[in-house]
Amino acid sequence: MTLSHLTRVVARTVAVAIVAVGFAPYAGAAVISPQELIQDEVRAERVAGLVALLARSDVAQQLENYGVSADQVMERVDNMTDAEILALNNAIDQHVAGGDVLAIIGAVFLVLLILELVGVTNIFSSF
Amino acid sequence: MALLGGAVVLSACAGFDENVRSYGVLQAPVELERTAFYPQERYQCGPAALATVLDASGADVELEALTGQVYLPGRQGSLQVELLAAARAHERVPYVIDGTLSAVVAELDAGRPVLVLQNLGVDWFPQWHYAVIVGVDPLTDRIILRSGTERRRVTPTRTFLHTWRRGGFWAMVVLPPGEIPALPDKVRYFESVAAVEATGHLESAYAAWQAGVDRWPGDATALFGQASAAYELGHYAEAEAVYRQLLSTQPDLHPARNNLAYVLLAQGRKAEALAEIRWILARIADGDRNREIYEDSYRDIAGQ
Repeated sequence: MTLSHLTRVVARTVAVAIVAVGFAPYAGAAVISPQELIQDEVRAERVAGLVALLARSDVAQQLENYGVSADQVMERVDNMTDAEILALNNAIDQHVAGGDVLAIIGAVFLVLLILELVGVTNIFSSF
Repeated sequence: MALLGGAVVLSACAGFDENVRSYGVLQAPVELERTAFYPQERYQCGPAALATVLDASGADVELEALTGQVYLPGRQGSLQVELLAAARAHERVPYVIDGTLSAVVAELDAGRPVLVLQNLGVDWFPQWHYAVIVGVDPLTDRIILRSGTERRRVTPTRTFLHTWRRGGFWAMVVLPPGEIPALPDKVRYFESVAAVEATGHLESAYAAWQAGVDRWPGDATALFGQASAAYELGHYAEAEAVYRQLLSTQPDLHPARNNLAYVLLAQGRKAEALAEIRWILARIADGDRNREIYEDSYRDIAGQ
């Protein structure tokens, strides 16, 4: 992965993260709106997509080369907010089309790393 | 002429995906000749294009009022989100269709003109423009638009596709509540309807959810939406019946049971309402990210 490649992924990720701040999970006690229900379903779908991706043998192998298990990544994903999962998905979508495993893994790590570094996790956490 | 596609990522390649440029099953020209024409004033293609599709959907349109709703004088243009919001304000369901010619053709076949975002400039010097596709002619390879000050602008399909691609292939239709898109993406349709409901247009949302239930019988989201809108409209008996129908096949759909509790509460049946929430709390793990919601609901209902 080249430096400019990295920069592009970072810029895109941050842009997505900023846009996504507006979304929140169920807004406290009360009736749950269809909008909130759909957000939940969309999250479940995205997580399923990530599980399928991590289950790919070439992806799992590459993760292992980095000393990380797919389970560890999923554990992180389970604790991510909807906005973070969207950011991750978008970053991966940019690379999955080409099928370049290294790029996919790079995107996964980068998003996780950035979310960690900029403390997005804390900003978004509403549970 | 107007601006703003937001952050659209554009590709530089010249060819078009078969999926994008295909006319689909279209053999003969299609043109919605009776579509009204609102010639735009300087920069105000957003309001003019929106007025065109709103009028076609049967809404009462006042161009001047519309201009106030969607036109940003400082930026000499309109944003896509404002077009969507203004359509909702007219009790319509705005729906963003797939960015393909075959999706456009399908909508035209259903009698709906299609509002599109074009970039008539180049990527590094964009000239954003909204226009309305009213016809497609596969025989001469032409697109027919209401555009700017031209009542019937005829553009070679290839030229149009270039300007549309630079606009991110963005296109929307305006659905009268109760109509379903020609080639609906189910979740996207539901999201569109949920946005109508969230902005307080309850009668429209109710009709649109019902159309969803008709189109996808038994679909949980559609039923949930119908029940939700019924509750908001004060039709408690119906809301209760629909939530119960939903729960009879999906007893673990906790949001539906949570809302059923509020429907029961609204009918003065507090004990039953609390029993429903207790049912949820008995089946949801301590660590579940949503448990707090139902605990809050319990306190909320108990305190009323």
